[in-house]
Amino acid sequence: MAEKILRIENLSKSFEGTQVFNNISFVIEKGELSSIIGPNGAGKTTLFNLITGYHIPDQGRVIFKGQDIAGIQPHRIVRLGIARAFQRTNIFPKMTVLENVVAAVISRQRRNLNLVSPFRNNKAAEERAYEILENVELADMAHRQSGILAHGNQKRLDIAVALALDPELLLLDEPTAGMSPEERKHTVQLVKRLWETLHITMVFIEHDMDIVFGISQKVRVLCYRTILAEGTPAEISANEQVIEAYLGEEV
Amino acid sequence: MTENTLSKRNWIAGVIVVMALAVLPFVLSKFGRTGEYWIWVTTEMLINGLFALSLNLILGYGGMVSFGHAAFFGVGAYTVALLMKKAGVSMVPALAAAPVAAAIAAAVIGWFCVRLIGLYFAILTLAFSQLLYMVVFQWYTFTGGDDGIHGIPRLAFLDPVNYYLLCLAIFVVCFLLMRMIVNSSFGLTIRSIRENMERAKFIGVNVRRFQWYNFIIAGSFAGLAGGLLTELNRFAQTEFLHWSKSAEPILASLVGGMFSLAGPAIGAAVLMFLKIVLQQFHQALVEIWAIVLGLVLLVVVLFAPDGMIGFFQRMHGKSDA
Repeated sequence: MAEKILRIENLSKSFEGTQVFNNISFVIEKGELSSIIGPNGAGKTTLFNLITGYHIPDQGRVIFKGQDIAGIQPHRIVRLGIARAFQRTNIFPKMTVLENVVAAVISRQRRNLNLVSPFRNNKAAEERAYEILENVELADMAHRQSGILAHGNQKRLDIAVALALDPELLLLDEPTAGMSPEERKHTVQLVKRLWETLHITMVFIEHDMDIVFGISQKVRVLCYRTILAEGTPAEISANEQVIEAYLGEEV
Repeated sequence: MTENTLSKRNWIAGVIVVMALAVLPFVLSKFGRTGEYWIWVTTEMLINGLFALSLNLILGYGGMVSFGHAAFFGVGAYTVALLMKKAGVSMVPALAAAPVAAAIAAAVIGWFCVRLIGLYFAILTLAFSQLLYMVVFQWYTFTGGDDGIHGIPRLAFLDPVNYYLLCLAIFVVCFLLMRMIVNSSFGLTIRSIRENMERAKFIGVNVRRFQWYNFIIAGSFAGLAGGLLTELNRFAQTEFLHWSKSAEPILASLVGGMFSLAGPAIGAAVLMFLKIVLQQFHQALVEIWAIVLGLVLLVVVLFAPDGMIGFFQRMHGKSDA
């Protein structure tokens, strides 16, 4: 019986009278690599925003490792062990690649309030940052300004910044958005390798069915303000409701 | 490697500049009354430079545009004036109290202001500083109102040259302290907030808290600058708190370059120099200072958006460190 790392209970959220979620519940097991799919506007990103404290749910609970985190500020949730990478690349554009990751490592070390010693002398932070950059294949670009990197590299840097926080739960919002088919395949393999080597629970949002079914242990389909179905990729692709509501148009 | 040679060159340049500045008053004192006047001007340049540097901690490094930084300059100035004139405290403890009082004021004002961002933050800082200005302006019995506080005592050995050297020493120490802060882990955190406030939250930074700390630090340095100006002029007046005093370090940062440490101080000195040269040329030309300032800003914004330091670095093909 696997441990439950995240438990979403009866979550509802509306924006200006439009309901995005109606009473959704699901559980994520520790160590799982799962994905959330759904048509545009189904609220996939909003779900991440609710988990990470960017939005406050109208109703329901978000229980992370036994603690209800609904309504807690984002930076506190990060400290509890949830990190995220963003759909639209979200980095510190004028800093170098290394500084981006070091900033996150220093935050993880809780050394932000050190006013005295230069951050460049923090060898532990630098080594850790390089280790992470190796993992996402960006180490050779460590001293480039991050804002001028190619899109795909920026997406991987975004993931590196999240990894630098040593999360127990990592939320990846369309890690392959805007990439070429080649890059997509490569990034998906990277995500899978990170999951295998780092033993982090990962949830990612995706659009591309092939990618999702290729690496996910579990797939959840978000549609019509609720979780339409959840199961293994095989179960999902055989689910008639899903085929009708979502896959139908593509098959 | 290149980073090391660059910082080594900066150190050498810094030492040369400081040595030249230390010799300057002895040269100037050979030139009679004109020399004495220029010693006074350069002392004020150092003080205004320190004030501009203090603002740049929040403006350039923190990305927070404050229109009310004079509030802390003024609190420092009046702290020195009141302590020395009314409480009979001597200069050193009075000057030490200035940054403390300014930090307390910045803690109170900043606690409200950091809850807002962008233009709303700027307007609220302006509102608080104007409020403080009005209080000082109206409270005749305590602050002397628009008369200010005059006749602040001066130690005998602090002739213009020695006071200049004192200000230079304080300026250098503050510069090195700010350099330390900017390069520290705290400095990196502040920069990350400037670059991308949302992302900073999602690496676990309590954004408001750090902006507040930075606001307090900037305020305390401004307070020290205000205290030094009071002692130089031997008076404190409401002008020190006026909104136009808040504009000075913003313009200095723009002209000098807000993405470098020394830029704002250089900008402050250059602007003061221009104004005085204009004044020396003909008294009536002070009337057109606003036009000259406007033209300078136009040139800066159009041709050197990173200020003089940024322009210089581009000419020499250096990227900013």
